[in-house]
Amino acid sequence: MAARLENRNVSFVVKFCIYAVMLAFTALAVYPIFWLIIQSFKTTQEYLTTSKLAFPRNWFTGNYPYSWRMGKFGTLLMNSVFYSVTTVLAVVILSLMAGFAFAKLKFRITPLLHGLFIIGILITLQSIMIPLFLMVNAAKLYNTRLGVLIPYIGLGLPMGVYLCTEFVKSIPNELIESGRLDGAGYMRIFSGIVFPMCAPVAVTLGILTFTGTWNEFILINILTSSDAIKSIPVGVARFSGALASDYGKQFSALVIGLVPILIFYAIFRKQITRGVAAGAVKG
Amino acid sequence: MTSKTEEKISYIALITPALLIYLAVIAFPIVFSILLSLTNYNGGKIFGNPNIKFVGFDSYIYMLTEPTRNFYMALKNNMLIVAVSVFGQIPLGFILAYILNQKVVKGSNFFQTMIYLPNVISPVIIGILFKSFYYGQNSVFMEIIRKFKPNAEFSILSQPMIPVLIVILWMYTGFYVIIFLANLQRIDSAIIEAARIDGANERQILARIVLPALSGVIVTCAILAISGSLKSFDLIYVMTGGGPASQTRVLSLYMYFMAFMGAPNYPLANAISTVMVIISFILIILTRRVEKIFGGKE
Repeated sequence: MAARLENRNVSFVVKFCIYAVMLAFTALAVYPIFWLIIQSFKTTQEYLTTSKLAFPRNWFTGNYPYSWRMGKFGTLLMNSVFYSVTTVLAVVILSLMAGFAFAKLKFRITPLLHGLFIIGILITLQSIMIPLFLMVNAAKLYNTRLGVLIPYIGLGLPMGVYLCTEFVKSIPNELIESGRLDGAGYMRIFSGIVFPMCAPVAVTLGILTFTGTWNEFILINILTSSDAIKSIPVGVARFSGALASDYGKQFSALVIGLVPILIFYAIFRKQITRGVAAGAVKG
Repeated sequence: MTSKTEEKISYIALITPALLIYLAVIAFPIVFSILLSLTNYNGGKIFGNPNIKFVGFDSYIYMLTEPTRNFYMALKNNMLIVAVSVFGQIPLGFILAYILNQKVVKGSNFFQTMIYLPNVISPVIIGILFKSFYYGQNSVFMEIIRKFKPNAEFSILSQPMIPVLIVILWMYTGFYVIIFLANLQRIDSAIIEAARIDGANERQILARIVLPALSGVIVTCAILAISGSLKSFDLIYVMTGGGPASQTRVLSLYMYFMAFMGAPNYPLANAISTVMVIISFILIILTRRVEKIFGGKE
């Protein structure tokens, strides 16, 4: 299709305009981030006294070590990695298990249970925040890693079960039946045949869950109190309060928060955009 | 062990872990929240209220009739966010996706990647960035304005939601570009080619083939926009904190302040979140309807 369309005669002017529009929007999307990175190399003094649009006169790197220590980003980074990786593993495995059962094992209760999970996709976190807070407190899990992880996993499951059920449905029944004829139980079929085939949906789901967990801010804010178990967004947010006027520190802290997700996006950008399209087509 | 029993045991073993966590984290809290909204529970003993009583719809009545009309303010702001999506992001996203899908520009992937970039960044980072960018007498925004009007003074707009809405527009337009592009690519190019051979021009193709094929997706996007507005929290929380004078609060922020700032008013906060749950349920029903009407989106 691409080749045929490219042969169409598109006048130079039209082409130029299209490029101009696309470049303008790209610049708009990227410029604020570019600006932030540039400004983080100014001292607060220089930022306040010179043009805020200009490049720094001296590229000052001293903001970074200061805000790294001040924001305790070493600890926060480890915590963010821990929460995100654990949540991703749990959501992917649990969703695939449930997805396989919903798609391939025939029970009358399936539509009801599956529907229950689907409802969760549109439920917003904020509307269940207070009960979660009270429950985590009642379970004596306030300010523990487990008290953060369980809600994170639960919040990832609706989309996970939806995507995995749809994916497992597309696996031919013959594969499962031939496994049955060889005398394998469903658990063996799941771990031996279905699970290895689910890499594509596992990657999509893993990436969606990872970015969601990595950026999550409000829940961890209300469920924890000690710095030792908080995550990067919470650390970054600290630089908007009392430290708001120390722009050098603030901007470098923002960049520190930004870099991991930029690297992640650079590696997985194709899977991310594909996953978003797959997840959102059904809403 | 018979095959049917084995199947049953496997089914239970496969589903139980996910189901238990789901019930504990999402299903039960929804019910719990609705129940709390009908009581006077405000934090128990510490706050001098050991007797939990069932008080019916008092909190809802209070929410709807209290003199500061905070609820309506928040609801209006949620609707403004939806309006930005429906009249800004969705048309803009469609136009950009349509252009990219024409394949006359090279590097479609590059543009897609860049325009989507703000979506993956934490709203907290974006919120602080734009707060520093915009607010204050010596902000970057004022520096740009002064290039045209040297004596300009910074003032909070009479509608303080506008800067927030602009950031939301900036942040999430790429999301709709991706969705529209994915669906545009599904339209059978043979149909478009055939129409073109029959002499249809670009506008006719757009109006007669492309837009009808995308009608389901457009409705889905509108639904996503509403649920997205309910989810908006982090960005506004760091960017304005709901101020000035709670004029930029959305429902989720209003609920948060009632529950977690100062003495908790859990019944009122839960009444607000019940309203949010109800809106979510209406959306779920709408989504189902849309799927039926447009026959799925495969």
